Amino acid sequence: MIEGPDGIRTLETSNIGASPVDNRSNSNAVLGGLCVLAAALVAFVWVPLDVDSGVVEQVRRRVQIGDSLAPVTAAVFIAIGGLLLLFVERRSPDQPVLALQNVRFIGISAVIIIAGFLIMRFAGPLTVDVVNWLTGDDLKYRLLRDSAPWKFIGYFIGGIFVVAGLMAQAEGGITRKNLGIAVAVVIALILIFDVPFDDLLLPPNGDV
Amino acid sequence: MGVGDYILQGILAFFLGSELFSIFGIPVSINIAMVLAGFLLGIMVGATPGLAGPVAMAISLPLLLSSFGYHASALLPVLGFLIGIMKGATVGGAVPAILFNTPGTPDAYMTTLDGFPMAQKGQAKKALRIAHFSSASGDTFSDLVLFVCAPFLAIIIEAHLDLPEKTALLILSLSFIAAVIGGSPAKGLISTGLGLLAVFIGTGEDFYPRLSLGTDQLARGFPITTAVLGVLILGAVFEGIDNLLREKRETGSFSAVRESGDQGLHWRDIRRLMPYISRSALIGTAIGALPGIGSTLAATLGYTVGKSRHQKRKSPDDLDFGAGAPQGIAATEAANSSVSGANLIPVLSLGIPGNAAAVFLILAAESIGGFVPGPAVFKFTTDTVNPELVIAFGLFTAMAFANVLNWTIGGLFMRTMGIMIRIPKQMLLPSVLLLTLTAIYIQETRLEAIWFALGFGVLGYAMRKLEISPLPFVIAFILGDKLELSARRAFSASGNDPFFLFSTPIATILMLLAIGVLVYTARKRRLEASA
Repeated sequence: MIEGPDGIRTLETSNIGASPVDNRSNSNAVLGGLCVLAAALVAFVWVPLDVDSGVVEQVRRRVQIGDSLAPVTAAVFIAIGGLLLLFVERRSPDQPVLALQNVRFIGISAVIIIAGFLIMRFAGPLTVDVVNWLTGDDLKYRLLRDSAPWKFIGYFIGGIFVVAGLMAQAEGGITRKNLGIAVAVVIALILIFDVPFDDLLLPPNGDV
Repeated sequence: MGVGDYILQGILAFFLGSELFSIFGIPVSINIAMVLAGFLLGIMVGATPGLAGPVAMAISLPLLLSSFGYHASALLPVLGFLIGIMKGATVGGAVPAILFNTPGTPDAYMTTLDGFPMAQKGQAKKALRIAHFSSASGDTFSDLVLFVCAPFLAIIIEAHLDLPEKTALLILSLSFIAAVIGGSPAKGLISTGLGLLAVFIGTGEDFYPRLSLGTDQLARGFPITTAVLGVLILGAVFEGIDNLLREKRETGSFSAVRESGDQGLHWRDIRRLMPYISRSALIGTAIGALPGIGSTLAATLGYTVGKSRHQKRKSPDDLDFGAGAPQGIAATEAANSSVSGANLIPVLSLGIPGNAAAVFLILAAESIGGFVPGPAVFKFTTDTVNPELVIAFGLFTAMAFANVLNWTIGGLFMRTMGIMIRIPKQMLLPSVLLLTLTAIYIQETRLEAIWFALGFGVLGYAMRKLEISPLPFVIAFILGDKLELSARRAFSASGNDPFFLFSTPIATILMLLAIGVLVYTARKRRLEASA
């Protein structure tokens, strides 16, 4: 299915690979039930426990809208959507069938990205520690985070990990070609984001 | 200042902006260069399956902000660049659709039906010329409608709508977007509710930031870039990789077709195509003016109306729609291109984004400051200069200039972009992901933003898998604060009337429409399901 507004389904240019749909699926009913439950939890548990003012507040003899009204309204939207799924669209003919492999895919992707950014975060400071250990210097990564080549170490290694990892996931294995492309992509991004701009910090240099 | 003075000031602001260089002593403004660069980039990304205008807009925004800063003088070059991308991508989407049967953008899907058969018969260049002519015609018509309608609509709204009506109008917009995008009002409402819930976290008027679970991270709220780019771009990247993984789709080998026959676009061709182009331009403009419906529906409707006309009037020698009829390409391209200009009518007159490209224009304007899209922009003050109005007419000039580029060099550049199809998606998508996360980090400079974006990306992926459109989420995220502020003011101004949304006839009508559109679409959905 190709969806309405431009740019939203940009990366799905054909029906191939779209979620399978099944007339016998009850995913609308399950999703609807979960949404009603989630909306109830938001409105009756999260909002009362985690918002200071109520739906309407009296401040110095003036009644005004409190901070709870907006999130309760959001919960009402979710609840109405859930109820419509349960009672109006329950037998809709085009219900998506979710598979465990979707969860596995997104889990692996998230792990690759999180690992890549953790490598990015610690590779630079770790390299400085190793250099200090080898040379006996007392360099601090924080002071070097805006000078080459130190500032590129984390981004370079972590970036290659993310790009090559996701390519390997899509193709079912890592190849030398993919690794080369990942290196080229990361170098290109450094050239785009860092070299022309003095005031931009590549990840993770704003955090270290 | 009179109306004419404002228009003149806008034109001058665009053409006489900061000088980039001069040719024979004639200064060339940075604004001109930025629209040109955006337009060419837009054609390139439009011609690349897997990319589209919003992706390029998302990635270039932080670089533009860093280059031009956060001052009103940055508005025209930055917004001009983004407008250039928006227009270029619309034209570029037809290239792979015609040459390789793969639409570069979703709204070019119908173009494949007649474009690819024409290319297979050796008429690729002619098909590209028809697509370009139709696209440029539709786009220009739509822009003219925008230039005329947006100021009038804004003036009417500013004159007749008070705080309760404006609040009701925002609710109507959200309800309309929820009801029509994606075809399921229930899922649209869920998407809208999630977007509202996300934007309300860590905000509010109390000393304690609401819903922050006592954490500093949530107390600052979610940065808008993490939510918008996460749900829209990262979610789409995840889905694209997942599709590749599952289908093991082969890429990179294409059979060559030798060109044959007349490749030119002649006056007699144009005369035959014009009835289709004009109908589709009207359809696309009407659809584009409504927030959230989008160019794919416009393309489908334009194609369907064109097909019905073609069946009645075609001569026995003419090819049918779907078999390589030039009229099919014209009907589709004129319809989807005429959406882009009209889509800015709700943005400029109401401050309500109707599609993903408009979301990034609002994001850019909000980041820079000095220009808040909405009815206040079109205040024709006579005693003092309204700088926002000058910028608005500067933007209209940028759009008109992009159209000139489209008519002059657009077709030529578009026909050279067939090579972009050769970039394999399995390499492109991970690169886009790192590009997007890098763009988010350099704007926020904290790793938390990456984790938030990743979380929103997972949400965007899940929404797509559950056939929930992410666009209502994004629009609700952008409009949430505005809705709350408007409701607080309206409540206060009405003397704490709990029924302030029904306190005036216009507000009541808008609220009834908001409920009515949901009831109508839900009922229609139920009938479809039981049919």
